[in-house]
Amino acid sequence: MNHIVSVNNVSKNYNLGQVVVPALRGVTLDVAEGEFLAIAGPSGSGKTTLLNLVGCVDTPSAGTVTVDGKQTGLLSERNLTRLRLNTIGFIFQSFNLVSVLSVLQNVELPLLLQRTLNARERRERVLALLDRVGIREYSKHRPSELSGGQRQRVAIARALVTRPKLVLADEPTANLDSVTGTNILNLMKELNQSEKTTFIFSTHDARVWAYASAVVRLADGQIQDRVSAEEAVRAGGLPAGRPA
Amino acid sequence: MRGYLDTLKVIAQIALRNLFASRLKTLIVGGIILFGSLLVVVGTALVDSVDASMSRSVIGSVAGHIQVYSAKSKDELTVMGGMAMESPDLTPIDDFAALRRTLLAVPNVKAVVPMGLSAATVIAGNTVDVVLERLRALARRKLAGEDVQAAYESEKDHVRQIITVLSGEVDNIRKIQSEKAIAQDDLDAVAKAVSPELWAGFDRDPYPALEFLENRIAPLASDADMLFLRYLGTDTDAFAKSFDRMKIVDGQAIPRGERGFLFSKWVYEQQVKLKTALRLDKISDGINKRSQTIARSEELQRWIKQNTTEVKEIMLQLDGQKTASFRRLLQGELGSQQSDVAKLLAEFFRVDDANFARRYRFFYDQLAPMLELYRVRIGDMLTIKSFTKSGYVQSVKLHVYGTFAFQGLEDSHIAGELNLMDMVSFRELYGFLTPERAREVREIKTMAGMKEVARDQAEAELFGKPDLGGAASGGSARPVDEAEAALRSLAGRQQRAARASQSYDPAQLEQGDVLNAAVIVKDPRRISQTIKDIEAAGAKAGIPLRAITWQKASGLVGQFVTMIRAVLYISVLIIFAVALVIINNALVMATLERMPEIGTLRAVGAQRRFLLGMLLVEALAVGVLFGSLGALLGAGIVGVIHAVGIPAANEILYFLFSGPRLHPSLSPANVIISLAIVLVVSAISSIYPGLLAMRVSPRQAMQSDD
Repeated sequence: MNHIVSVNNVSKNYNLGQVVVPALRGVTLDVAEGEFLAIAGPSGSGKTTLLNLVGCVDTPSAGTVTVDGKQTGLLSERNLTRLRLNTIGFIFQSFNLVSVLSVLQNVELPLLLQRTLNARERRERVLALLDRVGIREYSKHRPSELSGGQRQRVAIARALVTRPKLVLADEPTANLDSVTGTNILNLMKELNQSEKTTFIFSTHDARVWAYASAVVRLADGQIQDRVSAEEAVRAGGLPAGRPA
Repeated sequence: MRGYLDTLKVIAQIALRNLFASRLKTLIVGGIILFGSLLVVVGTALVDSVDASMSRSVIGSVAGHIQVYSAKSKDELTVMGGMAMESPDLTPIDDFAALRRTLLAVPNVKAVVPMGLSAATVIAGNTVDVVLERLRALARRKLAGEDVQAAYESEKDHVRQIITVLSGEVDNIRKIQSEKAIAQDDLDAVAKAVSPELWAGFDRDPYPALEFLENRIAPLASDADMLFLRYLGTDTDAFAKSFDRMKIVDGQAIPRGERGFLFSKWVYEQQVKLKTALRLDKISDGINKRSQTIARSEELQRWIKQNTTEVKEIMLQLDGQKTASFRRLLQGELGSQQSDVAKLLAEFFRVDDANFARRYRFFYDQLAPMLELYRVRIGDMLTIKSFTKSGYVQSVKLHVYGTFAFQGLEDSHIAGELNLMDMVSFRELYGFLTPERAREVREIKTMAGMKEVARDQAEAELFGKPDLGGAASGGSARPVDEAEAALRSLAGRQQRAARASQSYDPAQLEQGDVLNAAVIVKDPRRISQTIKDIEAAGAKAGIPLRAITWQKASGLVGQFVTMIRAVLYISVLIIFAVALVIINNALVMATLERMPEIGTLRAVGAQRRFLLGMLLVEALAVGVLFGSLGALLGAGIVGVIHAVGIPAANEILYFLFSGPRLHPSLSPANVIISLAIVLVVSAISSIYPGLLAMRVSPRQAMQSDD
């Protein structure tokens, strides 16, 4: 099986003034193409750090991270950015849409940065995708005119518009009510199945695990275990003996 | 390419929408830029126009494009606007012909005008002296038996009239000031002049009385003002040709080959004209040209007051007949029964806004024809006495041919204080030997048997060789007699020369000394190169020269524009420094506020230069939009000012504006400079925020509480 992401014995330290804070300690993780992987863990367990490393917005202090066959620690800032643009889609907890651009323009933005499609092709692809996530009629609206769920749909469309191999979602449902959250997860799962896009998302929401193909449980910067969704739901999501 | 354009479109869209989203900040930043570019456009347009008009004034009047003088000179040359009364100490260049040849060989030089600047005090027109002289002449003719009785009586009347005026004056001063304000001697003199005894025997033997009056009374009439005249000696023909702004106002130009003097019209009006008339003219100008009113202007009121108190100047000019005419005219005009003409005049000059125009006309139509309005008339001979460089007094009597002015600068004292004189007379006054003088001196020397003797042989030459004995003393008498005869004949010749030598050979203009020379160039844009060429050519020809631009030659005045330009540039610099800081701050704030958004863009795949471009476009958009608005507004303002004109409120402005109003015009350069500055400032001010934005990590997008 091909691994779209390989994390090998990775540590990540942050310097807070004089104090070195270890965020990840010797993490090893392989993610196969087409997975819908959840990373679970309490606050401070290193979920976001792991996502940052996989998402090429950060490089490890030790160990290697390989994304789509490229070892990120060896890439220049420019090439990391290019890798993000072409291979990875991002979905953020607080949606992070560009407030001054319309829905259509927000989704189009990565295509503009790629500069591979012409205006008509871009428009077609964006509108098809907006159709797919169910907010085509809002294409001319500004993000501020949309509800949270609608905004996250825009964000999902933006993450998918370049047809990336990998989509990273950082707590995608944390700012949504449960019904909307469920809808968003359904949408992501659908896309995962129809487009064969790999999804990795961090969450500490137990309901979300049910959708995952596997759940990686993190605590104190280390992987506790990697379990199936059923096991994770049964176990209450959190590694044994470490209540949230 | 298309992709780039589309990206740029997005950048522009994000940037513009960001600007719109923070409207207030954009407006504040834009307002500063707008004001800055407006200032640049209006300021540079004004300064450029002043520069242009002033250079027209300076170049076209006296300075020419370049002034050349000897490099050995102690002082620096200034041809106008010098504050010092003394002319600069320049070392003469003794061969103008050679200088001219050298200069004309320099490529860009079109014409060379010889010059010399100096000043002299001239005593002009004591009314009493003039009248007494006339009376003396008439008395002589009467005693010789000619029939001049009527003229004689009238002149005698005039003298007695003058004495009455002076005596009244003396009484007044004693009353107003103190008993001791007038010396006892003078009091006695006036008392004697009024006394019947003096006049009783006058007809029989006028000479003692005349002598008394000339010596004791004439000096009391203080209207014999000294004229301080600055004059420029030049080849008047070449001057008129090279300085096209010069025009003759009264009389005529000095004919070629004639000695002569041209008053500057300004000097002629301000210094030579009857003060009362000058003040009336000034009041008229104030009312008609500067829209002043007598009721409001203290200046006009002061002149009116001076006119009412200083009627003596006119009174001294009136003989019996004129006094009667004045009385009749003024009584009629004023509807008064007053018989004292002095009081009538005072009453007449007490004008207000309602009657000024009528009285002004009446003065010039009715009264002025009976007065000498100018102490020196066109056609008079003017005796100019000057100290030469070596300290002895040299005097030249010159025909006053007329007055001149520089077009557009008629009312400017800076351009108007120089009078003109032919170069030959100038050299004489300055103490240079003219060829005739040099020849005369040689003749005297030979006739007197003078020869140059070495010091060690002086004794032998004076006393002869010892063995010749007494023969030497007998022989020495003859040369002395001849020397005296020669001197006598020389004196006679010089007197005759003074009368007859109003002409000279025009070739003399070429030979001999000049102090400086004006150079007119063909291409004014190459002045600095030409200056270098001139100095090099001078050094090569053995005439060490210093060449300076017209700006430098015009002294303080020339530097004035440089000064305002500096002030303008400094204020522009300050404004844009402030603008830079404010734009920078605004963009930094915007960047900090948008950290998550910028992080998101980075995470999504925007390269750093995309963000830099975004901020640059934001800054440039504000700059271009408001900068253009400012430039447009500035252009509009310049347009309005051009149509209306800025009035020259004072003389210096009059000179700078080269006329009564400045009509500034806009050149494309003004607008281009302004926009260029705005763009550069905008670009610079987005550098730091751009760096900040580039340093924003894509991690900023991840906001979970991890």
